[in-house]
Amino acid sequence: MGMIFFKIALVAYFVSTVGYVSSLFVGRVKVAKLSMWVFSLAFALHTVCIVIQWTGVASIPSANIYGSLSFIAWAISGAYLAFQTKTKTRVLGAFVSPAILVMMIAASSGLMCGVSIPPALRGPWVIVHVLLLLTGGALFALACLAGAMYLLQDNLIKSKKVSGFSRMFPSLRDLDRINHICIVWGFPLLTFGIIAGSIWAWTVWGSSWYWDPKQIFTAVSWVIYAILVHQRIVIGWSGRKAAVLSIVAFAGLLFAFIGVNVFFVTIHNF
Amino acid sequence: MSIILLGINHRSAPLSIRERLSISCGEEGKTLEALKNIPHVREAMYLSTCNRAEVLVNIKPADEVVEKLKAFITEHGNLSPEEMGKCLYVYRDEDAVRHLFRVASSLDSMIMGEPQILGQVKDAYRLCVRQKTSGVILNKLLHHAFSVAKRVRTETSIASNAVSVSFAAVKLAKKIFGTLGRKKVLLVGAGEMAQLAARHLMDNGVDRIIFTNRTYENAVKLANDFHGLPVEFELLEEKLGDVDIVISSTGSPDCIISGDMVATALRRRRNRLMFLIDVAVPRDIDPAAGKIDNVYLYNIDDLQGVVDENMQSRLNEARDAEAIIDEEVARFSGWFATLEVVPTIVDLKNKIEEIVRGETERSHSWMKDLGGEERENIEILVNSIVNKILHDPVVGLKKESLNGEADPYVAVVKKLFKL
Repeated sequence: MGMIFFKIALVAYFVSTVGYVSSLFVGRVKVAKLSMWVFSLAFALHTVCIVIQWTGVASIPSANIYGSLSFIAWAISGAYLAFQTKTKTRVLGAFVSPAILVMMIAASSGLMCGVSIPPALRGPWVIVHVLLLLTGGALFALACLAGAMYLLQDNLIKSKKVSGFSRMFPSLRDLDRINHICIVWGFPLLTFGIIAGSIWAWTVWGSSWYWDPKQIFTAVSWVIYAILVHQRIVIGWSGRKAAVLSIVAFAGLLFAFIGVNVFFVTIHNF
Repeated sequence: MSIILLGINHRSAPLSIRERLSISCGEEGKTLEALKNIPHVREAMYLSTCNRAEVLVNIKPADEVVEKLKAFITEHGNLSPEEMGKCLYVYRDEDAVRHLFRVASSLDSMIMGEPQILGQVKDAYRLCVRQKTSGVILNKLLHHAFSVAKRVRTETSIASNAVSVSFAAVKLAKKIFGTLGRKKVLLVGAGEMAQLAARHLMDNGVDRIIFTNRTYENAVKLANDFHGLPVEFELLEEKLGDVDIVISSTGSPDCIISGDMVATALRRRRNRLMFLIDVAVPRDIDPAAGKIDNVYLYNIDDLQGVVDENMQSRLNEARDAEAIIDEEVARFSGWFATLEVVPTIVDLKNKIEEIVRGETERSHSWMKDLGGEERENIEILVNSIVNKILHDPVVGLKKESLNGEADPYVAVVKKLFKL
């Protein structure tokens, strides 16, 4: 049942991706506006899909990497749409929508596979741990995309090429604000997510630090984000440097999330 | 019935002639009245801007009317017939409609896509409505022109790029800061282009403009004009840290704002973005400032480059706009063409209705025995028969009129039905 909604949502995300990207090339905001409606529809369907999974499986819909990809994609869409209501950043969708499409395609390959969760990985702390980290990750992903578009726009304005893509891209300030808000909100989520995981690991295994590669890379990203939040709030960093650092930090987080499973052995299920 | 448009514009006539026409038409109301008094002119509108003077009329077709209209313009502009012959263009029907649509959509403007012309056309129309010189045709035509202009604006981006240096600067500022509310501007020097940019920025809602000048009195004078704040030139370096946008246009032979000054200012404003506009020749702001992160420096050539590119993209957009106009002209012409058969159709329908009414009245004597419902049913039956019979001839007439071949049919219908 949930799968049907998931599939339609996937198709809608595909349509909105095509729409958003082509709006950049034909240079019409109207196309981006239409794409936004398709994107909102996709998000609504996706929400239904997640609710069905949640209630049906009687557990969180992110018990494996596929479910969590779908959840992150959903969280990014939601956060992005929320920003849409505040700022005129429709064209940012040209970056957000493709990213979500990729995640959804990846998620679709194994979403409905049965997952065997080891008994050690059950319990409320795990749910808190996973949901906080995934939502935080989603905000950081959005920060990264806004940062990437910021760098492009910055580059175009600096090099005086302002009649093409630049005309379609949102203003520097709007992009910087999205980056800022996502980082500032994502950071506590990441922090509490890590703490939740540690508490739970401590109750189960008696220690919260295992030199697990996933832990190490997440810790490194956490430090970078901590620096970034500090610089942004205390020193007043904004613009280019902040955008670059948010991209670097996210690369670390992405590696912790996916890369580690490929190259290392980890105690994490995903 | 025929639509005629005649006039001169910036392409057909030199400024000296355009001037004479626009001055003489100062008393606008009188122009319309005079036009309407020309025999056979049923409706008239007069459009006069600094780049064009045009007369749009709906006339009963007659050759002498066009000559009279020409004479009217010649007389009005105090022109010689030779001048007239060289400058004046005359469009009829479909061409007139197309020209009006192009004018309203700003495709015929000197700076293509400029927004003022639509307002000017609207004013001209409003005046002719007030003077009651417009009727069915002009009303329909003008409203159609307004909707075409809107379509062109929304469906092409012909008007969305800045094509003047000062406006390009405002657009850029918006690209950087989003909105300009609560932004502070520092204007260094008193160059004309800088003032123009300041005016544009103020129209777009900047919070405050600070003026500085080597001659303090000049700064005070400008500050009064713009409701801004004058500061002494010595405070320039200090003030740099307070403002988001700097426009510089002094006559100084060397740079007055160095890269270091900007870097210090940026630190003081905690790295918030800065937009520096240098419209002075020779330059006022050290180009090194543009290399600093979060600082965007544009000089006069950069801005001109933006304008040139925008101009080019407008030309491309114009092609799309012309397609829209062709489509709309065809639509209007369709409506216009059926107009010549409309009176005949109305007469025909009236006559039939008259017959129905007469016959129903005559049948009154025997119908009164029937119940109310039965009587109603009979009326419905009669009306539906009449409508069925009329349907094909009416549609046929309209169809022929679209091909412009309705005249013989109209004649036949009139003769057969004694209309």
